[in-house]
Amino acid sequence: MKKFLVFALLVVLAISCVAVEAKDLTIAFSQIGQESDWRTANTDSVNSTIENHEGWTLVYDDAQQKQENQIKALRNFITQGVDYILFTGVVETGWDEVLKEVNEAEIPLILLDRMPSCADQIDYVAAFGGDFVKEGYRQVAWAGEYMKSLGRDGEDVQVVIMEGTTGSGAQVGRTEGNLAAMKEYPFLKLAAQQSGNFTRAEGQAVMESWLKSLDKIDVLIAQNDDMALGAVDAIKAAGLVPGKDIIIVGCDSVKAAFDAIVAGDMNCTVECTPLYGPTVEEFIERIEAGEEFSKEIVHPEEFVYDMDGGIVLEDNDGGSTTSIKAADVIDSRQY
Amino acid sequence: MSKKKFNLSDITRSKIFWAVVAELLILLVCLIKRPDFFKISYQPATGMLYGSLIDIVNRSAEITIIALGMTLVIALGGTDLSVGALVAVAGAIALKFMRWDVLVYNTPGDYTVKPFWMAILVPLFVCVLMGMFNGFLIGVGNIQPIIATLVLMVCGRGVAQIVTNGKQFTTQYSPFRVIGQGHLFALPMPIIITIVVIILMYIFVRKTAFGTFVESVGINRSASRLAGIDATKVIIIVYALTGLLSAISGLIYSSRIMSNDSNNAGLNYEMDAILAVVIGGTNMNGGKFSLAGTVIGSIIIRTIVTFVYYFGIVSEATMAFKALIIAVVIVLQSEPVRNFFSKKFAKKNPSLKEA
Repeated sequence: MKKFLVFALLVVLAISCVAVEAKDLTIAFSQIGQESDWRTANTDSVNSTIENHEGWTLVYDDAQQKQENQIKALRNFITQGVDYILFTGVVETGWDEVLKEVNEAEIPLILLDRMPSCADQIDYVAAFGGDFVKEGYRQVAWAGEYMKSLGRDGEDVQVVIMEGTTGSGAQVGRTEGNLAAMKEYPFLKLAAQQSGNFTRAEGQAVMESWLKSLDKIDVLIAQNDDMALGAVDAIKAAGLVPGKDIIIVGCDSVKAAFDAIVAGDMNCTVECTPLYGPTVEEFIERIEAGEEFSKEIVHPEEFVYDMDGGIVLEDNDGGSTTSIKAADVIDSRQY
Repeated sequence: MSKKKFNLSDITRSKIFWAVVAELLILLVCLIKRPDFFKISYQPATGMLYGSLIDIVNRSAEITIIALGMTLVIALGGTDLSVGALVAVAGAIALKFMRWDVLVYNTPGDYTVKPFWMAILVPLFVCVLMGMFNGFLIGVGNIQPIIATLVLMVCGRGVAQIVTNGKQFTTQYSPFRVIGQGHLFALPMPIIITIVVIILMYIFVRKTAFGTFVESVGINRSASRLAGIDATKVIIIVYALTGLLSAISGLIYSSRIMSNDSNNAGLNYEMDAILAVVIGGTNMNGGKFSLAGTVIGSIIIRTIVTFVYYFGIVSEATMAFKALIIAVVIVLQSEPVRNFFSKKFAKKNPSLKEA
């Protein structure tokens, strides 16, 4: 029995050696699980890019929304001696120990999407993720510019903000951006602010109550597209016309939001792209070539999509963006 | 029967009375803060009554329907933690059959992949089977209900993910829309469905001996067996029924959003349903139960949520606010408080009678 075990071990070792030799790089990806369409698109993008790159092997782990699974996966990656670790943490805290182990094993770490709270105490070679504050800022800036283009900046425009799950990174960042941009457009008045938990059903219920408790709603800023789509149903049920009586700005730019904009039910969606694959590929290639990145988080290039396009808005970082007509790009959307 | 004595002391001892008091207190606060909270008008554009009170009853449908099944489960001395996951499973299967599929059609529209009856009956059937599985583990396997139903609570959402390949399908098929967004007699369809379910449940448990069987098994299983009640059968039927009710709830949920949402559909419904049953006066230890109390409990939970939205309680404080109100309701219903009031009324009105 012992002999057999030793033999089996040797075979496994031999196979893994051959596998490592045949490929140039083994890249491990610890993903949090499949929580939404956005996450699915994110996983597909990263995984397919690595798998299709010549000489790269992917080791993928789906943590099914559990931190302990992710810690286990990271330790497995260390034992396997992978060349790179890509990491998105399901929660912000509690990573100090395991990420220090990754550092001790001298495996280059790339942080994706969600930054752990211990990021300044550990070493990582690059970080890539969305800029939630900027997205939130763009939402309100678009509404402000659109109202100006309609000549409605003379009146008090009543704005409601439907927030995501309280305390999530996206909610905190987008709310900060929303409120910062509200100051730049003094004719936009904040009428109400409430969490819709990022879901369609709650977006519907919250909008339903607002339509009864508030005298007038001109603009809905929904911190994701799902809540915006839920609100569309509630607005229709109240006998109003979404997109006209109430201007609706979503976030994320999922396919369903494009359909709604083309159908005239929604007005705008601010992009939060899940397509990380190409950037991750570029990072690894440049690091392999000897380049070094700073600890700054790199943000993806994102756009604003609306019914007609051509609305110019200032970003919070001093740049400016011109909105793109949703109908022109709907066919090329992958998610 | 006709000359039943009504004693205020007895009434204040009953838990349902305090549940009703709690609901009325919340509504009273609404009345003082904003009288137009109670405004109900007819909406010609949609053909439905329109108002916050309608919203409360309408949106409580999912929890009410599940909580009716949960009442029987708790009367048996058990708990069913899997109901929320079954809501997700039912929605996933229904949408799988009705999805707008880019491979079949180019643009979203009013069509379905499989016939409508399949999209309704298959989820109901699957959830009944899953409920029977729970009942089998508990009734035949003698596994503790929390552990037995934990199995489906944990893997149910996984099943829903597998059914839909982790995707969120959408549909625009109009017969399906009727379930969650349609109306009958100017009332939203979920209210009508809830009323029908309440009536059928009432007939099933109170006009047949089944309700008594459930109470009997909940109080003492061995004694019931000696009295000739097939306890195993009763347990399996109750859990299967809860599965069926979860599926109905799941169809309403997904019809409201015309989409499946395996991650969020029915999330924490098991907790809300148990809470509704407990607020409604059914004891967690099993035995006697009250369907009417459960309905009131469910409406209280939804009233709190609507209150939060309507009066714009800041989202950071929402959870604490809900917890506070529920704590007050439960304290009002506690044994010492009820005894206190019943003694007080007993002294004041030693022989109060009503016609």
